[in-house]
Amino acid sequence: MWRVIKSVLAAFFGVQKEARRREDFGRGDGRAFIVAGIVMGVVLVVLVALIAHLAAG
Amino acid sequence: MRTMLVWATGALALAGIPQAALANGWNMPVGVTDVSRDIYSLHMVIFWICVVIGVLVFGAMFYSLFRYRRSQGASAAQFHEHTTVEVIWTAIPLLILIGMALPATATLRTMYDASQADLDVMVTGQQWRWRYEYLGEEVAFTSNLGTPREQIAGGDEKGENYLLEVDEPLVLPVGQKVRLLMTSDDVVHSWWVPDLAVKQDAIPGFVNENWVRINEPGIYRGQCAELCGRDHGFMPVVVEAVEPEQFDQWLAQRKEAATQAAMGIDREWGLDELMTRGEKVYGSICASCHQPDGSGSPPTFPALAGNQAMLDERARHIDTVVNGVSGTAMPAFRSTLNPVEIAAVITWERNAWGNETGDIVQPSEIAEQLSE
Amino acid sequence: MATHLPPKPAPQYSEATAGGMAGAHHDRPRGLMRWVLTTNHKEIGTLYLIFSLTMFFIGGIFAMVVRAELFQPGLQLVQPEFFNQMTTMHGLIMVFGAVMPAFVGLANWMVPLQVGAPDMALPRLNNFSFWLLPVAFTLLLATLFMPGGGPDFGWTFYAPLSTTYAPPSTTFFIFSLHLAGISSILGAINIIATILNLRAPGMRMMDMPLFVWTWLITAFLLIAVMPVLAGVITMMLLDINFGTSFFNAAGGGDPVLFQHLFWFFGHPEVYIMILPAFGIVSVIIPTFARKRLFGYASMVYATASIAILSFLVWAHHMFIVGLPLVAELFFMYTTMLIAVPTGVKVFNWIATLFQGSITFEPPMLFALAFVVLFTIGGFSGLMLAIAPADFQYHDTYFVVAHFHYVLVPGAVFAIMAGVYYWLPKWTGHYPHLRLAQWHFWLSVIGVNLTFFPMHFSGLAGMPRRIPDYALQFADFNMVTSLGAFLFGASQLLFVAVVILCIRGGEKAPAQAWEGAEDLEWTVPSPAPLHTFDTPPDFKPDQP
Repeated sequence: MWRVIKSVLAAFFGVQKEARRREDFGRGDGRAFIVAGIVMGVVLVVLVALIAHLAAG
Repeated sequence: MRTMLVWATGALALAGIPQAALANGWNMPVGVTDVSRDIYSLHMVIFWICVVIGVLVFGAMFYSLFRYRRSQGASAAQFHEHTTVEVIWTAIPLLILIGMALPATATLRTMYDASQADLDVMVTGQQWRWRYEYLGEEVAFTSNLGTPREQIAGGDEKGENYLLEVDEPLVLPVGQKVRLLMTSDDVVHSWWVPDLAVKQDAIPGFVNENWVRINEPGIYRGQCAELCGRDHGFMPVVVEAVEPEQFDQWLAQRKEAATQAAMGIDREWGLDELMTRGEKVYGSICASCHQPDGSGSPPTFPALAGNQAMLDERARHIDTVVNGVSGTAMPAFRSTLNPVEIAAVITWERNAWGNETGDIVQPSEIAEQLSE
Repeated sequence: MATHLPPKPAPQYSEATAGGMAGAHHDRPRGLMRWVLTTNHKEIGTLYLIFSLTMFFIGGIFAMVVRAELFQPGLQLVQPEFFNQMTTMHGLIMVFGAVMPAFVGLANWMVPLQVGAPDMALPRLNNFSFWLLPVAFTLLLATLFMPGGGPDFGWTFYAPLSTTYAPPSTTFFIFSLHLAGISSILGAINIIATILNLRAPGMRMMDMPLFVWTWLITAFLLIAVMPVLAGVITMMLLDINFGTSFFNAAGGGDPVLFQHLFWFFGHPEVYIMILPAFGIVSVIIPTFARKRLFGYASMVYATASIAILSFLVWAHHMFIVGLPLVAELFFMYTTMLIAVPTGVKVFNWIATLFQGSITFEPPMLFALAFVVLFTIGGFSGLMLAIAPADFQYHDTYFVVAHFHYVLVPGAVFAIMAGVYYWLPKWTGHYPHLRLAQWHFWLSVIGVNLTFFPMHFSGLAGMPRRIPDYALQFADFNMVTSLGAFLFGASQLLFVAVVILCIRGGEKAPAQAWEGAEDLEWTVPSPAPLHTFDTPPDFKPDQP
């Protein structure tokens, strides 16, 4: 689970080690990554919205 | 290659131009409000950040292009990833962006605080003029393009403030916080004066809020910024900032004039005086769509000269001008013009350009209809 | 998503092949009908490219009218009504008629060749997607001759200017946009189906050339946002013809809703026009640097990041419509975030050049100019993202400069780079070197003369979409107009190069460029009508 989250985070950041990438893509099942990607996408939106709320005072 | 090098030197030369030269017609004006100064410095900071990044990035690029030419015997290395370098060049922009977001957020918060204003002015966009109303002061007027047509399409020499001059500017006091409430009677317009750093859309059905506190007296010019139809380019904004005492005097004069204008409602008007008045109103309000000779530009703007339906139905003609026609470009003029002006312009339309009905529409008739 | 197993030949794979071959062997239509009825991806690709080039010139002529009027202050050549129609049609034709079909044309030609497929997955649909376009754009251009004229409300067609106050021809405009939208969606479906199902055995997703990757992501963007455009223009249609009031404030409607809907489509649309360009450049630079693309995986991730973020930034086009403070901040932050993956791309291209073995053939020249000039457009984009400063930049020539930098030396240069890169594969001849170099240098000079002074006129206070301007903008506008005429005229050279290249020239071998490694370079030049009838033996270059 933590591995998946770390890989998705790396994808968001846009940098990933080639070895890790090959390992992830070698798993043969992308579903965990897709679900994690969507969840983290929502988390990102909520996070930015939260920061905007705080900054707006 | 060569042009690119010229480009790089050009960018560097540009960076070397003193800011004073840049501020003179090549760059964003510093402006005359605290907010405009803040925006100007944000603009310059982000500009220099871009210049520095640009010099580094393009420098690295041109170095590579020059150093690793095959014609000079370069052979390709085989590396194709480097995680540390990638992390660094992703993280640094992120940090720079956070550094930019902080002052931008602070400025934006100031710009959004329109509370505790000393004066409220309602700004209404209309195709293609601005209407200003000093709320609670019963002073309102429209501000039209002041540049003569002969300068635009004809051969007349263009004046110094070509297209940036109006018949009546918006007068504001310096040093006071003025709240600007923006709306529109027809399409989306945008009220913009660069020196005041105020640009706000005027949207039908919405009232937007912005504010300005001008530091120096002077005349500040701008334009409508949102495409609003044919004469979008001919819809300037002029703000005259004066000392508060002078502003109070001006406001008192305008109030007096407004009372004078309203006085004539009850008396009987003659055809000639209505026609004289009507011609003026038509010229500044109606002619932009229906044309000075009443020929209109069909199908959007119908002709008025020889318009039999209009001439046959007097009551509907009045209703059209007073209440507008929903679903078309014809606005309601009940709140824009006073009864004398409405009566005069209808009388003009029914008697000009060969429409010789001899009809007189009395201001009292309009006033009665307005009070219904 | 990982396909570590070779994809099984899908049913449509064999059917498509069989269909295509049957057509070739029996009564293959000739002459005009050959082109009308073709289901061959190469022929349809050619049709798309010819269509796009035609539209590029028509949209270009409109731009020349605009620049001629703006050459000097005052109204000399056209009336403001017609001027507004010209700016509007220029935008619509260039976006929907020139840039998008050019990328679809390149995808039609190159995606099957790059993934080792015999054709697109859905050949008949492919034919239909193309032939919708000439109908749509004939209709759109016809509006110019209708009473009241054509669309005159800007390519963003903000309501109520485009509804209550619009010319009667607006209904035709809506219909033509619907047709173009359907064409885009069908094209996108076809590209996705081809990429996911028809890759050569052994080619995994992460082995695909970046042009294929960026197009896959673009196709998903198209499917996501084209229906939003269809929705918003249908609402306009109802407002105009059926008495609804979606955008009419007098009837309780909301003009700002239009802008939200439009830009929810419009911002991803901007990336639809630039992501395939990234792909082309990412294929060309490694070829002429003779070095593998630096950070391939990062490039894929960055493309995906840009695509996802593109759905979260739409209101940065609306910073001055009076959004609440929280919304302004949210959209400012998300917009600034986009600079990060975009920066990653630029850095990767430069790292690819570093320690390469570089030559400067015409495709490389255009790709390098793309990197520099697109980055300049990126910088002005970053400036525009700063919401308080945008109150000054918004709707000025600064914005016009920004989006022309990313679209002309951005998207259009990438398309030209792609054309020069693949012309040997299409025609079997190299493009004429001298002429191509002239075309490049004149284009680079023209494009910068045109668009760089726009930064200054915008900052100095010139609003966009005005037919006449105050005297202090006169010098900038004159330079811009001269640059525009130069740029416009030099595109005739491009046509000359392409025609000469079709008719003859230096013969190109299968692998036309020394450093080119993708699958399209394994088939002969010119590519025969049918390629990869048997799937190629793909060997990923990674162990």
